[in-house]
Amino acid sequence: MKTEKDKVARCLTAIILLSLMLPAWLPAVPSFARKYKTSCVTCHYAFPKLNAFGRAFLNNGYRIPGGKEARMRKEKPIKMGADAYKKLWPRALWPTDIPGATPLSVHAVGRVHYFEAGKNSSFEIPHQLETIFAGTFDQHFSFFAEVKFLNQNNVDYEFKFQYDFNSKFHLKMGTAGLEEVVPLDRRIAPLKYNLSGIQNRSGTWDLTKGAGGGIELWGAGNGPHKSGGFTFALGLGNGQINRNNLDTNNHKDFYGRFTYKFGGVGEAGGIPPGWHSNVNYYTDNSLRLGGFFYSGSASDSLGRDNFHLFGADLDAWWYRINLFAELMWFNSDYGNIDWQTRAGFIETNILVFPWLFLRTRYEQTDMDSQDARSLDRFLLPSVVALVRANVKGSVEYKLPLNHQSENDGHFVFQFDFAF
Amino acid sequence: MYRKWTLSLLCLFILSPAYAGVLRGTVNISGENDNRNVIVYLETTLDKKFPPPAKHAAMDQQNMRFIPHVLPIQVGTTVDFFNSDNYLHNIFSPDYTGGKFSLGTWAKGITKSFTFNTPGSATLLCNVHPEMEAYIVVLPTPYFALSDSTGKFRIEDVPSGVYLLKTWHERGYFTVKKIAIKKNRPTVVNIRLK
Repeated sequence: MKTEKDKVARCLTAIILLSLMLPAWLPAVPSFARKYKTSCVTCHYAFPKLNAFGRAFLNNGYRIPGGKEARMRKEKPIKMGADAYKKLWPRALWPTDIPGATPLSVHAVGRVHYFEAGKNSSFEIPHQLETIFAGTFDQHFSFFAEVKFLNQNNVDYEFKFQYDFNSKFHLKMGTAGLEEVVPLDRRIAPLKYNLSGIQNRSGTWDLTKGAGGGIELWGAGNGPHKSGGFTFALGLGNGQINRNNLDTNNHKDFYGRFTYKFGGVGEAGGIPPGWHSNVNYYTDNSLRLGGFFYSGSASDSLGRDNFHLFGADLDAWWYRINLFAELMWFNSDYGNIDWQTRAGFIETNILVFPWLFLRTRYEQTDMDSQDARSLDRFLLPSVVALVRANVKGSVEYKLPLNHQSENDGHFVFQFDFAF
Repeated sequence: MYRKWTLSLLCLFILSPAYAGVLRGTVNISGENDNRNVIVYLETTLDKKFPPPAKHAAMDQQNMRFIPHVLPIQVGTTVDFFNSDNYLHNIFSPDYTGGKFSLGTWAKGITKSFTFNTPGSATLLCNVHPEMEAYIVVLPTPYFALSDSTGKFRIEDVPSGVYLLKTWHERGYFTVKKIAIKKNRPTVVNIRLK
């Protein structure tokens, strides 16, 4: 029999969950905060790292899960035709809507460095300025675009446009690749993960480059009792491209990823039974296991580099603790030599207070080089503080564990803000 | 003479509004802050016809919107459509209620009329401005009301008896319940739609 306490707890859970409902490869997108009139922490553990509901939002094509998008959306979209025009199609244009306000967000990053080896410090401001455009058109289209200015001369841009059949299936066209595996935008502290820097032997590809322009079929679904569930992605892309974004060879790169989550909030959104006991945005007791692969071909003046990688990852959440680990095996067949690299990391995030996080990461890269195998190991402790929901400060130290480079530590202080 | 007076007084008493009931209450749409434009209406359980009202209903087009957005009418009512904007507007409906009518395109100051003889709901569109949309809901009885933003509604002069209470909303929220209207006493109903 439901007691009054149970009812109140369920209400609170629903309210908090609903208020948390505001996308796995997704930097912070303040335009969503404006759309739903909610805080960044609704979807982000500490931006850009997503919490469980942020993932469910992403998996629903940047929409509130459970069909509640229309109710939760505070910013009215601009209608491009009344819904009743659907009855007249094909004798009329199918109606849609566009975001009511320009879905533009800005994220700025500045850094201060201290290098132990040279005992020198440096301001790196700006480190990065990115403009993000993300949103939806009616119930079936969504988009994400980004223009990123890095340091002085680097400009990077990309976009993805997708058709959302439902939460289980989306067809994406645009920049493809294993973005979620390269947790560039899943980290809460400054420095990149070692996996994102690993290249094929010819140096013509790394995970951050992705598959270039391509298509991807991906989706997500809840597990039993709306808890946990699966995600999958299968894609095809150009891989190595020239200055005109065109494929440089006749081979298309292809890739795939699959995860399964045990426990916690449903991957497509859903409140599992008994979940109301975890009534905050950062708790999602669960275990997610994943696997991925990528096969590609690139070339340089010395010849073709056929490479493939596969890997596994683990993402475990237990109240205030998050354990995240990944292992990758990378093979590169170049110059008639089969080069092999193994890399991985394990990271612990501890939420001390909702604004204060301790994070430690151990990384190891065992790279096959021309002369011998090299083994690089690092320990990266950091402290991250959310000064405000959209303003973050972090300090990170990269401590080399290899005896020969033990004095080559690197301190970074970073500040981010977004609006 | 005395008999005529008695009979007249008796008729007056029987036909007096004092013998009609009032149905009032609130309608609440779960998860919504705005509960306006829910039509609450009564259908009789008997096969009874009601003469259409002589007075026309009205719908205007102002500032590229239909006013009102939802117009409940009794079957057989004629609706006068105005254009108060400084540009051409058009009215047509893709629905069978009203026989998929089209009134064409006309300029400011002109009025066109149409009589709705089939119960149901008709979506109104303007093919000059595709975002414009309204609803005319044609009901079998004169006992209906439109809720305000707080969800309140009131239906007056309902003869006592048993009715089916129904709701209509453009997003499909629907309810049906049997209700008894008593004379000289308001019937209060609170409706929750999900």
